[in-house]
Amino acid sequence: MANHLNNNERQGLQRAPSQLVGPDYKSSEERPEATVSTAIQQKNVVILPQTPQLIALLTMIRDKNTNRADFIFYSNRINRLLVEEALNHLPVHPHTITTPVGRTYAGVKFEGKICGVSIMRAGEAMEQALRECCRSVRIGKILIQRDEETSKPRLFYDKLPEDVKDRWVLLLDPMLATGGSALMAVDVLRSKGVPEERILFLNLIASPEGAANFSKKYPRLRIVTAFVDEGLDEKNYIVPGLGDFGDRFYTL
Amino acid sequence: MERAPSSASHTSSVLPAIRAQYDPPWANTSIIGVAGSSGSGKTSLSVAIINELSLPWVVLMSMDSFYKPLTPDQSAAAFRNEFDFDAPDAIDFDVLVEKLKDIKAGKKADIPVYSFEKHARKDRTNTIYSPHVLILEGIFALHDQRVLDLLDLKIFAEADGDLCLSRRLLRDVRERGRDIEGCIKQWFSFVKPNFHRYVEPQREIADIIVPRGIENKVAISMVSDRVHKTLKDKSKLHQTELRRLGNVSEDAPLSDNVTILEPTKQIRGINTMLMDPELPREEFIFYFDRLVVMMVEKATERALVFAPCKVATPVPGRFYHGLHLEGEVSAVVVLRGGSCLETGLKRVIPDCRTGRMLIQTNFRTTEPELHYYKISEDIAEHRCVMLLDPQMSSGGAALMAVRVLLDHGVREDRIVFVTYSAGKMGLNRLMSVYPDIKVVVCRIVDDLELRWVEQQYCGC
Repeated sequence: MANHLNNNERQGLQRAPSQLVGPDYKSSEERPEATVSTAIQQKNVVILPQTPQLIALLTMIRDKNTNRADFIFYSNRINRLLVEEALNHLPVHPHTITTPVGRTYAGVKFEGKICGVSIMRAGEAMEQALRECCRSVRIGKILIQRDEETSKPRLFYDKLPEDVKDRWVLLLDPMLATGGSALMAVDVLRSKGVPEERILFLNLIASPEGAANFSKKYPRLRIVTAFVDEGLDEKNYIVPGLGDFGDRFYTL
Repeated sequence: MERAPSSASHTSSVLPAIRAQYDPPWANTSIIGVAGSSGSGKTSLSVAIINELSLPWVVLMSMDSFYKPLTPDQSAAAFRNEFDFDAPDAIDFDVLVEKLKDIKAGKKADIPVYSFEKHARKDRTNTIYSPHVLILEGIFALHDQRVLDLLDLKIFAEADGDLCLSRRLLRDVRERGRDIEGCIKQWFSFVKPNFHRYVEPQREIADIIVPRGIENKVAISMVSDRVHKTLKDKSKLHQTELRRLGNVSEDAPLSDNVTILEPTKQIRGINTMLMDPELPREEFIFYFDRLVVMMVEKATERALVFAPCKVATPVPGRFYHGLHLEGEVSAVVVLRGGSCLETGLKRVIPDCRTGRMLIQTNFRTTEPELHYYKISEDIAEHRCVMLLDPQMSSGGAALMAVRVLLDHGVREDRIVFVTYSAGKMGLNRLMSVYPDIKVVVCRIVDDLELRWVEQQYCGC
């Protein structure tokens, strides 16, 4: 662990610190202490507000004793928060309407088409939340697997909407560890003509290393995450993490 | 129209120093006492008055519920028909007065249930809550001075002695499982002497003496007219009260306990669609549900209580110091509008226990009226109770709904009122009376907006 921390700690990065959580107006007795997200410098990484209820949801899915039904339900609740946050980064234009009570409301209208792209198979677990917010959204798929021999990610399959280059892309993968496969997925999207700044990468838990890798390579792509964890272990697992997301969601 | 949360929800540290007072329309309940000899037709007269009143908030309470539980000796005597049930001593006036005072104060009262077969109180009780009129009937309804002090109208039902005896015989044999000899024995040893000693003197203090029972249509309609007039005056008082609360609080800044959803692009965009009258209902339901999820998530963030906990993750030897929720969260929907928020609620808390209360605004008087309610028995123990209503205009229905929860033992600081839109006046009115409740609102609108959300959502 220690050798993983050294680099960043020299840069003043405090990994997953303990903090009192809850709104400021509450007294410190009413604000319980919990481990919150690592605050990282990269501007293109959007971390959800560390509210007590988000921490409680994360606690549920991190706990190895949480059963599959609860794991699915609580991860979906966080995914929905991620999707709602990501959608806020899409452009709108002013649109004024007359309300049912006869008033004018200076509102806004959504602009531009979107689509989801899930990195199989764990990313597919986030599709439900996306559908709950955008009913008829198109969802493409990318299958990337780690090559056993080279331990490098390899692209096996992709199927994307034909006009993907004209859309905003919500790229779905719940865990951002080293970022190897997600970076490859972005390369696939870019090869189809999707500009970097129109990609929003949604994940539940990221490692500081993965987030840094992404920012370095694609500074204009936005990452929306619920939590930046402590780091990676020697097997490149996010720690403390939540284990293998796909296994816990689909097969365990 | 939208207000940034920074300027609206966090500016005021000036909470109203004095709590404003709100009395629901059922406070200061009109209580009518109906006394008269056994078999004089008190019950049928009371029922006739209720029918003539034709109001949903009239409750009949029999003094039979307040018989004292008997000791074993007394009970044995009762089974030999040698116990005097027709003397004031058989009645537990202390409990009766206590319950009447609760009802008069607008509080919930649990009324004992008496078993005539066993001469004992049953384990269960009946709840009386929020009647506008209560009719108390019993042979000694006008006997105890403490009861008399609480009565608004005192009626004495009069009937011929022979008629009383024959009615009593029929009732006790048919409905209460007694034998005819026993009944006659009781009549001559207890009922008749007691009538002269205790029951008849009540005539003197009655406001109205009604002979011939239910045949006396004139008397019944006189009573009914009088009650209607009293209720009308009270309704006016309630409306004046609501207006007064509005005036004192119109310009006050919003309380810290009011949270307005941050008007992000998504929320503004969804609002734009929702408020467009052309939006198909299918879309309206979809986007409204989506918004409700955000409101309920915000409410859980504001109101729930979390405690630290340490969990092991599936990665060997790794732990996370997180939080877990303490206590039960439940909800109460204010019908009919509140049912529009249930789909969203269930997406956040699928097994959330949900109480219901039907509060309708009387379109003539604009006064909110409580028609029905059903909530969890143990609601007082829940750590958080969300009160769901899509819109708040004058705040009248919200005041009433909160009051119902408080009367059922829910602590004020455990109530979160979740609403799509609210007027500032209504919010301030609510917060001036109940400063400790929390409110989560999506949009602040002009005061007194019509209830259009439930119409769009339900399609009628």
